[in-house]
Amino acid sequence: MEQYYLFVSIFVPVIGSFLLPAVGKFSERVRNLSALLFVLVSLFGALALVPAVMAGRVINIAIPLPLGFNFAFTADMLAVFMAIVSSLVGSIIVLYSFDYISHYDNRNEYYLMVVLFLGSMMGLVYSANLIFIYLFWEITAIASWRLIGFFREPIHVLRADKAFLVTVFGALMMLLGFIFIYNTAGSFDLAAIKVYFKTNPVPNIAVILILFGILSKSATLPFHTWLPDAGVAPSPVTALLHAAVLVKIGVYVFARLFIVTLPLTPQWNVIIPVIAAVSALVSAGAALVETDMKRIIAYSTVSQIGFIFLGFAIGTEVGVAGALLYILMHGLAKGGLFLCAGIVEQNTKTKDITRMGGLIRTMPVTAISFLACAFSVMGIPPFGGFFSKYLVFSGTANSGHLFIAATFLVGAILTIMYLLRIFNLIFMGESHLANVKEGSQTMVVSVAVLAGLSLLCGICIKYPSEFVQSAVKQMMGL
Amino acid sequence: MSDNILILPILIPLAAGLAILATPKKWRGVKEAIALLATLASLGITLLLFGKSLFYSIPWAGFGISFSLRLYPFSAFIIAATAIFGFLTVLYSSSFLFKKDYAKLFYAYLLVSLSFITGATLSDNLILLLFFWEGLLVTLFGMIALGNKGAFKTATKAFIIVGLCDVCLMVGIAIAGHMSGTFEMSKMNIPIMGVGGIAFLLMMIGAIAKGGSMPFHSWIPDAAIDAPLPFMAIFPAALEKLLSIYFLARISLDIFKMAPESWLSYTLMTIGAITIVFAVMMALVQKDFKRLLSYHAISQLGYMILGIGTLVPAGIVGGLFHMVNNAMYKSCLFMTGGAVEKEAGTTDLAKLGGIGTRMPVTFACFIITALAISGVPPFNGFFSKELVYDGALERGFIFYLAAVVGSFFTAASFLKLGHAAFMGKLQERNRGVREVAWPMLIPMIVIALGCILFGIFNAFPLNHLIQPSISETRLHGESFAGFPTNMTLVIVTVVVLVGALLNHLYGVKKTGNGLGAVDHIHYAPGLSWIYKKAEKGYLDPYNLWWGIINVFSAVMSWIDKAIDWLYNDFATGVANGLAITLKKLHTGSYKIYILWSIAAAIAILVFLLKAGA
Repeated sequence: MEQYYLFVSIFVPVIGSFLLPAVGKFSERVRNLSALLFVLVSLFGALALVPAVMAGRVINIAIPLPLGFNFAFTADMLAVFMAIVSSLVGSIIVLYSFDYISHYDNRNEYYLMVVLFLGSMMGLVYSANLIFIYLFWEITAIASWRLIGFFREPIHVLRADKAFLVTVFGALMMLLGFIFIYNTAGSFDLAAIKVYFKTNPVPNIAVILILFGILSKSATLPFHTWLPDAGVAPSPVTALLHAAVLVKIGVYVFARLFIVTLPLTPQWNVIIPVIAAVSALVSAGAALVETDMKRIIAYSTVSQIGFIFLGFAIGTEVGVAGALLYILMHGLAKGGLFLCAGIVEQNTKTKDITRMGGLIRTMPVTAISFLACAFSVMGIPPFGGFFSKYLVFSGTANSGHLFIAATFLVGAILTIMYLLRIFNLIFMGESHLANVKEGSQTMVVSVAVLAGLSLLCGICIKYPSEFVQSAVKQMMGL
Repeated sequence: MSDNILILPILIPLAAGLAILATPKKWRGVKEAIALLATLASLGITLLLFGKSLFYSIPWAGFGISFSLRLYPFSAFIIAATAIFGFLTVLYSSSFLFKKDYAKLFYAYLLVSLSFITGATLSDNLILLLFFWEGLLVTLFGMIALGNKGAFKTATKAFIIVGLCDVCLMVGIAIAGHMSGTFEMSKMNIPIMGVGGIAFLLMMIGAIAKGGSMPFHSWIPDAAIDAPLPFMAIFPAALEKLLSIYFLARISLDIFKMAPESWLSYTLMTIGAITIVFAVMMALVQKDFKRLLSYHAISQLGYMILGIGTLVPAGIVGGLFHMVNNAMYKSCLFMTGGAVEKEAGTTDLAKLGGIGTRMPVTFACFIITALAISGVPPFNGFFSKELVYDGALERGFIFYLAAVVGSFFTAASFLKLGHAAFMGKLQERNRGVREVAWPMLIPMIVIALGCILFGIFNAFPLNHLIQPSISETRLHGESFAGFPTNMTLVIVTVVVLVGALLNHLYGVKKTGNGLGAVDHIHYAPGLSWIYKKAEKGYLDPYNLWWGIINVFSAVMSWIDKAIDWLYNDFATGVANGLAITLKKLHTGSYKIYILWSIAAAIAILVFLLKAGA
């Protein structure tokens, strides 16, 4: 039965996405609803797996194919957690898109790409095989390329090409790394690789090559600049890139490979946090200087991804738990921030925050939701971000690397500063714009739901935390 | 009594706050009624709980984070004080905020804050404490932003300053928890050597910043002007001090193994002394009732930090006693300021004067609390200050000197304030000033009476509230109730107070009015230059911090742009250059192509031969 859930939650969106343009030919409404339905199938499929994985079971589907290209999927706690986060945020984004994208052309392509994007994310998280990880990884690259350049102006296409080239360059490096792993361990299968590397050292060259892929996908310094540039995409797409899918792929694969499968040597527990720290500080500084709303939030993502890498790479149990919760909390809150920015952008026709101001009076729900999501990203209780930020710091303290903790302390302070700056410039003070309306009902509801979930995850931290505790035990083999 | 009753004082104000948020605006009086009932109910429960010891714990988020509450004399005392101030402030606000648009939101934020403060005080788990403590940022931002038009800027300032220090606290707690292997405060005992010292320092920053110690003070004077007055009367004046000093006492006395000879003790005393002197010097020259009080709110915190920092019994007891006393007179002083604001429509001292006879009860309350803050016997402030002096002198003359200098200027500035606001000639614009309504008077009267009682009968608070809060090992069974034993210190105090009075009379004689009573200090050579800089905000640490951050972020942004250049220009440039070079090589000449082919064939051959060998 569980294998069925697993199968459905990958292939319904992946295959279903190709039906959407055909459906769209005769009914927009049916197409929109089926897009949402496909993503919800992934969500409920993942949720249905929760009892089984909580009981400590691991669900496998395996169909052997020649040359090690086994058609193999596995659902463990990490995979189910990631699938829930992605499909939850993803489905709210699809709901929001109903109104947002109705103002623009090429809607069939939009829904095809978005659902394919989310579907391949599902495929990626459940993959038990390096080749399938690579395959789905590249499908997301293609989908994101089309979506970033969705509005088709020359600059947009250029930015989309940049995102594609940088991430695909990284992916090819990673593929080389996979081949090194294959040459050493003799298999692409994660379970077999894990067994092999229990007793053998991991070649550093492979780690470096794979890190190229991960860092470029997760927009970490020095491979991050495509992400702010990708802000030219439609807002639900940027939300998707930042909160649900694209940048989370990198951190997910990091956890899957370097925590679950390959044991990292201790030197990496310092090197990666240092990279993450530099990335967090540089992007936080850039966020304080930029004046384009979406670029600021994008730099904020780069900065927060640093915290996630810190938690995963620092090598302590608490840190890993913090990073997992961070993926959830950041996904919800950052998705909310981008969707709010989308409402503001659509109603003011600008992205320049210096030309805004006073919008809290005309769009109160958006403003409050924005602030709530910002609080969560800052890590202010009772919002969920508090716990994830705290646990990452706690994990760092446990590792004893106080200098790294100090750097991230500065990063956390800068987070507060740039998010308040953007909030004040958009929503507070004198209004520079006339006749700005609140967003449409569906859009406002979507952002309010994300803000509400950010709060709920903080108040009811017990439930995500219980899941994450067991997940960490399973991941680290404790 | 079941232990889970401990949740009630947290839950009741929270539920009431959310209920107020849900009430429609049109329902007049409902929000006031809910707020009054809820604060009264929490007051009842906290008084009922007083003197008991309870412990309640349920698992929460894992990783050592449990929802554990501990009631013991110290926390019972702080939550009772919180409930009393909560009730009195709501009563006061019911008249002060009557018909104000933002009243509904204010009550909601106020009640949620009361809930969080109670929660933070009761928490035995440090993460739970941090949860409530940092959560106060949200309501702090909300309450200040409710004020006048530009108040959101002050709210942002407060949020950034306090938020910065809360993040430090967070990291400090993480380190402390790692060192002791638990987050339960009652089980922690950390040496302050090395990393322990860093943990203490980070947690100390969080603790003193909540109270608004220097250099984390500068949002308070701004909030005095921008935020709604009841906010000032309860938070910066009373509850934030209680919470701040409560936690400072917990970390200094319980969680860390602090000894008087440690460098951290000197750090604390130095911060305290600097805060006392510099803040009171700023208070002295203020021309606005509320702004003047706000600098005193900062300065008085210095006495508490100094007292606790001494780590000797007299100082600790004095610091905690001063915390209670200050909360009382400072919140009453702000309430008198609010009464003046409501009646005269301004708190600008130049526009006030002579209204004392028109609002006698307010004036009487002002006199009592001003005497108390100046440390005049037999009011409560006198007794706590004497204890702080005693402790400070034991640790170093310089600290004692700072405390005494602070007292001189405190007395001087309150003489000026009282004279300028309530005495002198009544201005034409203040003809309509009358006494305020009873909901505003009652809190003032109650607190002013408290200042007298806590002074004359100081044995009650000392023996039943303060001393039981401190562990026996710190006090060695000493009791500090009654009149100070060190008569030399008392004589010095009296001389200083008389000196302040003479200084006032001199200033008034020179300028002819109360407002100018300290002009001879304000415009003294050297000082006037510093004051000018300070008034322009050059000495505001917040502005300095933004200056640093702006430079930092400009550099970071430049690095970011440089990396982006590598992608946008360098990489594309190299690719184009390569393409152009290759294009040029393809001239269409068969001869060159054949030569290439031969060269390549030779290369392959060599490679194969080598591989074969």
